[in-house]
Amino acid sequence: MKRLRALEPLAWVGPAVVLIAVVVLWPVIEMIRSSFLKISRFGVVQGGNGLANYEKLFGEKDFADIMVRSVIWVVAVVALTVLISLALAQLFNQQFPLRKVARWALIAPWAASVLMTAIIFKWMLDPEVGVINQIRLKLGLIDAMGGAAADQLGDASTAMPWLVFVAVFVSVPFTTYALLAGLATIPADVYEAARMDGAGRFRTYWSITLPLLRPALTVAALINVMNVFNSFPIIWAMTHGQPGYSTATSTILMFILKGSDIGESAAMSVVNFGMVIVLTVIFLRVSRWNKEVA
Amino acid sequence: MNMKLVGGAALGLASVLVLSSCGSGGSGGGTQASGDGTVTLKMVAADYGDGPGKPNSGETFWKGVVDEFQAANPNIKVDVQVINWNDIDKQVATMVQNGQVPDILQTGDYSGFVKDGLLYKVDEVLSPNVSGDMLQKFAEFGKVDGTAYGIPFVSSARALFYNKDLFQKAGIAEPPKTWDELKAAAEKLKAAGVTQPFGLPLGQEEAQAESFLWMLGNGGGYKDASGKWAINSPQNVETFQYVKGLVDAGLTTPNPGTKDRKTVWEDFGAGKVGMVNGGPMSIPIFDAAGLKGKYGVAPIPGKSGPLDTTLGVMDWIMAFNKNGHAAEIKKFFDFFYTGSAAQKISDTYKLLPVTNGGIQKLSSDENLKPFLDALPNASFYPFQDPKWATVNPAIKQTIGGAVKEDPAKVLGELQKVAESAS
Repeated sequence: MKRLRALEPLAWVGPAVVLIAVVVLWPVIEMIRSSFLKISRFGVVQGGNGLANYEKLFGEKDFADIMVRSVIWVVAVVALTVLISLALAQLFNQQFPLRKVARWALIAPWAASVLMTAIIFKWMLDPEVGVINQIRLKLGLIDAMGGAAADQLGDASTAMPWLVFVAVFVSVPFTTYALLAGLATIPADVYEAARMDGAGRFRTYWSITLPLLRPALTVAALINVMNVFNSFPIIWAMTHGQPGYSTATSTILMFILKGSDIGESAAMSVVNFGMVIVLTVIFLRVSRWNKEVA
Repeated sequence: MNMKLVGGAALGLASVLVLSSCGSGGSGGGTQASGDGTVTLKMVAADYGDGPGKPNSGETFWKGVVDEFQAANPNIKVDVQVINWNDIDKQVATMVQNGQVPDILQTGDYSGFVKDGLLYKVDEVLSPNVSGDMLQKFAEFGKVDGTAYGIPFVSSARALFYNKDLFQKAGIAEPPKTWDELKAAAEKLKAAGVTQPFGLPLGQEEAQAESFLWMLGNGGGYKDASGKWAINSPQNVETFQYVKGLVDAGLTTPNPGTKDRKTVWEDFGAGKVGMVNGGPMSIPIFDAAGLKGKYGVAPIPGKSGPLDTTLGVMDWIMAFNKNGHAAEIKKFFDFFYTGSAAQKISDTYKLLPVTNGGIQKLSSDENLKPFLDALPNASFYPFQDPKWATVNPAIKQTIGGAVKEDPAKVLGELQKVAESAS
């Protein structure tokens, strides 16, 4: 009986361990294994393929551009999201009439399906009938509907900013709420002490709010880094990575490759997986997450 | 304390059971013969309709077919899973990879399953009188090394649709027959205020079709007469230079390389497009948009005259041999082709039949006549070449660049993909 007793923790931890093994570890192992197999477009496994999938992937004409674009995409979206959310969190931390309504409204883009949001933006940007283009027409920014000027998603130079905009739009609510929760943990007496010592508003924010907000900020930004890097629906719904591959990130390339060569697609997934880990490590280094606030 | 221990263990065990049942829930491919001798055939089919919930959805269509079949064959159950065209290839590939193949698959290609011996031969699952009625040219495409594996399911062909009202407004007497006439007509439409004189979908959805139609107009194609890849042949480069001229002059859909055919067809239906290449399956879209009776159908213009061939597309149905069941599959296939089902699918989705009998039945339909006439002389994608599976996605993604950048360079890159693909 005593021995059985010693096993009791296993009964509690076991399910979680099994869950992680089945849902997280096993797919990762399968993914890595697939990346070394030769698999036809029809799903037929034709045996081992050594490193050929990786060689083919790295040999793709657009591979380097896509990887650089993926990093720029992550940095741009996360940086803008965090900056906007910092400001919004401050705003929503103040008392003002209808604050509750405003806070609820902020949840909307978060609660809506990302795919739905992306499709709605695509419709709003439609060159023939999109409402954004009708507004631009009324403002005199474009001469007519239907032409190339009204087709912002048709060219990478104008499509990319819109993709970033939509990604920021759907990321801001979560980030703001995470930061809002962080702000709520900062005790009021710290601010009081700062005021007593004659610190100005900017100084207070820089020396007290930001450092004390760092744990929340780090977690929020980190989750965004991973989410945005793996983000698929926004780009897929709005541009398919086109024209060519000029708006594709590595996640989009992975999906496109799945239609022609599953092994190469798995290799792309493994590279993606590695990229997320590298980005996370760099991020944690830069933000010195485990250093205590002085 | 005993209670606690037992409770914990029970909870743990329960969780494990839930997890393992999740694991087996995903297996859709297996089939079982139950005790009373009933055989369940698992079928995967593509959706020709407007998706789940719509009156013409694939689910509704197949339910009708299956109910009728099961009433006549009480010992056979058919379990149909309908998947949309965007996902079906990837989902089927996953099923095959996991060894959970269906008994019957209806989709756009069969050739990749043949080499590994996954399919029944056609004569094992189809009666001779049915296979004898198939259009011979189509049946030929179902053969690999002389043995038939793919059964033609439905087909379609392409022609030029033009908006009669817009043509009248622009003062164009008749649809263009040559590229020069096409350009002149497009310029008149543009002058009359039409935003997209020629609808040009070279985006991901079906760039390979639109491109092929243009290539045919100049005696080109994806392969040359000897069967070698010729994507960057001089004819094709010249073709895309001409199309690029149209795009640069603002006579087409803007940024064609990002536009799907669905969008452009909807724009045509909305009266924003003067002319567009379409097929029987675009008729319901145009009619639903309110253009019924206001469009004409004409042969597709070529460089110096209308095309004497057009793009033919064939979809396939095939039987996997993993679970046995050849006899039951044969009953289902014979039922499908000899009963009302094959004609019902043509009627519902404006798809063209693949049997001589079916074509005769439809020949009185005014709207379908140009397409039926074009079928016997249609040209097809080189889908029997295993490299097509790699070349096709590359074309879909990048060929739009040939009307934006240097055509020779973009087509040259695609030719390289075709030559290097394994």
